[in-house]
Amino acid sequence: MKRKTCLIETFESCENYDKKHRNIQSGTATMYKNTIWYHTLLDAEKSCLKEEKVKKIHYKFEDGREMVEEYNVDTQVLLRRAWKVKGKLGGEGKWHVEIGDPIPDAISNSDCAEITECKDQPQVFRRNTRINLEWRIRNLPYPIETYSISANNDERCIVIRTTNKKYFKKFKIPELERLNLNIEQANIQSSHHFNTLIIMYKKPQQLLDMEKEWYEELKKVKPIKDIPNDCKTQ
Amino acid sequence: MASIAAAQVQEVRSITRIERIGAHSHIRGLGLDDSLEPRQVSQGMVGQKMARKAAGVILQMIREGKIAGRAVLLAGQPGTGKTAIAMGLAQALGPDTPFTSMAGSEIFSLEMSKTEALTQAIRKSIGIRIKEESEIIEGEVVEVVVERAAGGGGARVGRLTLKTTDMETNYDMGAKMIDSLLKEKVQAGDVITIDKATGKINKLGRSFARARDYDATGQQARFVQCPEGELQKRKEVVHTVTLHEVDVINSRTHGFLALFSGDTGEIKSEIREQINSKVAEWREEGKAEMIPGVLFIDEAHMLDIECFSFLNRALESETAPIVIMATNRGITRIRGTTYRSPHGIPLDLLDRMIIVATSPYSQSELKDILNIRCEEEDCQMSADALTVLTRVATETSLRYAIQLITTASLVAKRRKAAEVSMEDVKKVYSLFLDEHRSEQFLKEYQDEFMFNDGSGDASQVMMEVSQ
Repeated sequence: MKRKTCLIETFESCENYDKKHRNIQSGTATMYKNTIWYHTLLDAEKSCLKEEKVKKIHYKFEDGREMVEEYNVDTQVLLRRAWKVKGKLGGEGKWHVEIGDPIPDAISNSDCAEITECKDQPQVFRRNTRINLEWRIRNLPYPIETYSISANNDERCIVIRTTNKKYFKKFKIPELERLNLNIEQANIQSSHHFNTLIIMYKKPQQLLDMEKEWYEELKKVKPIKDIPNDCKTQ
Repeated sequence: MASIAAAQVQEVRSITRIERIGAHSHIRGLGLDDSLEPRQVSQGMVGQKMARKAAGVILQMIREGKIAGRAVLLAGQPGTGKTAIAMGLAQALGPDTPFTSMAGSEIFSLEMSKTEALTQAIRKSIGIRIKEESEIIEGEVVEVVVERAAGGGGARVGRLTLKTTDMETNYDMGAKMIDSLLKEKVQAGDVITIDKATGKINKLGRSFARARDYDATGQQARFVQCPEGELQKRKEVVHTVTLHEVDVINSRTHGFLALFSGDTGEIKSEIREQINSKVAEWREEGKAEMIPGVLFIDEAHMLDIECFSFLNRALESETAPIVIMATNRGITRIRGTTYRSPHGIPLDLLDRMIIVATSPYSQSELKDILNIRCEEEDCQMSADALTVLTRVATETSLRYAIQLITTASLVAKRRKAAEVSMEDVKKVYSLFLDEHRSEQFLKEYQDEFMFNDGSGDASQVMMEVSQ
């Protein structure tokens, strides 16, 4: 009998959990604090560097992953977020940029990369503003009518199609995924200038709140004062 | 429009490019049937039945992969097919089994020690099959363009256009990629996948849309749907990497020093130990599988005593490949010592080996080989010319006779004949001396050459010293 009651209890707690999720989706202000993402951020080992107007935060998570964020001190906007991706076979690993401009390679990759997209092919860049998540797809010459941009909540991604079948792209929105938010078609806007297609997604209130809160939280991380000067000769 | 037409002409020319012909490029396998019995003439192999049968047994041993660290010695006179058997074994093993081929003298380098070179060769011959997520490009080929950059013999520039039902993208290709595309004979209408990290190309078939392009498509032409969605996908792929490649990935220093990357030099033994334990861990977890391959050392008598004693120990490690050595020496001095030993290999190492002997070819076998080489070198030869050539092969050497094939066919072309006749062979026989006639010539005119004091002994003394 005891076992049974126990089972029922867990079932109930499951239900509670579901409710919580629903609450998150309906937009209760502080629900982001229950997400796994927020907890991993809190638990991560953080270090901070300040360089003029840029605040750089290095996160070292408990599972060994590494992430770097760069904030503009004036606008509090996240300029860049990059993850260190390690190969299964070992080696140093490379930085994979989630938001912001890619980090230029110190060594030209042309020798080892045997096949790469041509320079004139479309390329996606992420650049967020204070209120929008933004994707800029450069080198897309076709007029705005060509594109159809739709939210696909089954695969949790935005799909871009072209009527002339020249370009197709699916991309996920990790920010929303981490907060268990759905993608709303109504929040998507797009424009096309200078061969660049810009897709904007209005940040939901949840995300805005969390980013604000998190920026406050980051103020607790003291920046490293004595940066070793890498050009000093002995 | 003109530029498109020009590009297409370029494409046709580059794809029908002549492949280079090597001394053993006619070998396509060991020429064994399913029960590992050798056929008289098959897959470019002729005769040498006992040795091939032995190689077949070794092949089975490698495929089962249970036993590590066996050594095999192929011993026989020059030109009796030792290297051919090793090449045939490599072909029969297929592309997934690592096969490293080196010459005994390759290990003597100023950049790394002999044992390091041997260790690297050994680790190149052990593969690890591992699952890894990788960027795959999958699409239908729209166009392949290969052009030479302006300026004499500049680097080739390649562009590949791929499409799916939803999109189309152009790619730039490097020289290696161009070569492998040409080798796979990829053309417009093929559906291919390319592993972006390794550049490995896999032909899936031809697109249905192109099904009616030609009336005469081969029996084996397979038709597939044009893929949909994005061209580039992330997929779990099973990779085969060698232990040496894993060593290199983990030993390369990053940052400033990476500017000088390229040659790896010596790899620290700590790194190797780390990797060995990691691989053992993967194997236990079932994430990876080890494939022992083959290390082939040609001209094994050029190794010295240090290498032999190193091999003695290396063969006993559980991560050792099957080592095949070939030598054409009889009882001779072991390099680095004054001792003489069979094949120039110390007795303790010989004791660990199984020895496969090759014997000189018979006249009819020589004829078969010459016939195969004629086909390989794309040369029409008349029956009597082939008979003469076979005589030449029996009296001089097989290698010399093979040299005469292309030279004779060039002579025949000069007189605009479609077929090489006996006269052509005779002409090149008089134009190019074989080793024996050259020696005769030297003996006759020795006095008139430079630095000759008339006594034949002096050169022999020199030889002793330089050895």
